[in-house]
Amino acid sequence: MRTTPPSWAESLLRLFLPPHVFPSLSGDLLEHYRDSILPARGLGRADRWYVTQVLEFIARKTLPWAALFAGSFLARGALDVLRPTTDFHTRAELSTGIGVGLLLSAGFSIARRSGSFLAGAAAGCAITAIASVLTIGGNVVRLALWHDPRVMSAVAASGGLDEAFSLPAILILPGVALGGIGGLLGAGSRCFSRY
Amino acid sequence: MAETLGTFEQAVLLAIFRLADDAYGRAISKEVATRLGREVAFGAVQATLERLENKRLISSLPGSGTPIRAGRPRRFYRVAPSGIAALNDARTTAEILWRGLRWPLRGPA
Repeated sequence: MRTTPPSWAESLLRLFLPPHVFPSLSGDLLEHYRDSILPARGLGRADRWYVTQVLEFIARKTLPWAALFAGSFLARGALDVLRPTTDFHTRAELSTGIGVGLLLSAGFSIARRSGSFLAGAAAGCAITAIASVLTIGGNVVRLALWHDPRVMSAVAASGGLDEAFSLPAILILPGVALGGIGGLLGAGSRCFSRY
Repeated sequence: MAETLGTFEQAVLLAIFRLADDAYGRAISKEVATRLGREVAFGAVQATLERLENKRLISSLPGSGTPIRAGRPRRFYRVAPSGIAALNDARTTAEILWRGLRWPLRGPA
């Protein structure tokens, strides 16, 4: 019987950890997996425990960025409703710039710590995925609180309900790309700072 | 005045103190889980260890690996004098706050 956790989960953990932390932390997880979890829960549930630990670790690293990303979306939506305008161009440019900046910064910072540009791309994916869940939740709350005709026409004018709910999820792929670019810069700066 | 500690930081520091020479990541996680009576994520313990080390409340040294860990090294932690001072401060503060009150508290009948 296999006594090692899923290799893909371990590779994902390696992506997000600084090289000097990975051996000891992954050793701790492996020891607990083999010594306590596997004998008590069996292979399937032990694997699930390991994957949960890895995802929790990634969420811990990316959640603040995802909250900022979702917050910028929700703030933009609230501004469009509270202060409607006929020209959304400037606001759209500003909110896009903030989103791009956040993803590049997150990719840079996470890849600089781990030393792998792929960590930036994976972080971009995690951040946009978590942010899309947060944004959908935020939009549901917003619509539950304010849904009079004036608000609904302001929502329609700023892109409509479809955009409010689907845009963050559509951004997952660009999030991977932007996180990856930030990751390249972060991993590069880590290499450069060694010399 | 020493560093102000959160509850989880106190749990991790006290686990390291109790475990003495055997305070490495997994043992600390198990000790914290046992004391708090709930499962704790390794990531939460790791993040706290990093934070405590950055505040210089603990120090760490690499150790040897074992076959069950596939030879991966352990990292052993020790509470620094500033960590002990912070724990003492936390205990003193709690005692001052609780002085004169009968525990457990009861709400108005």
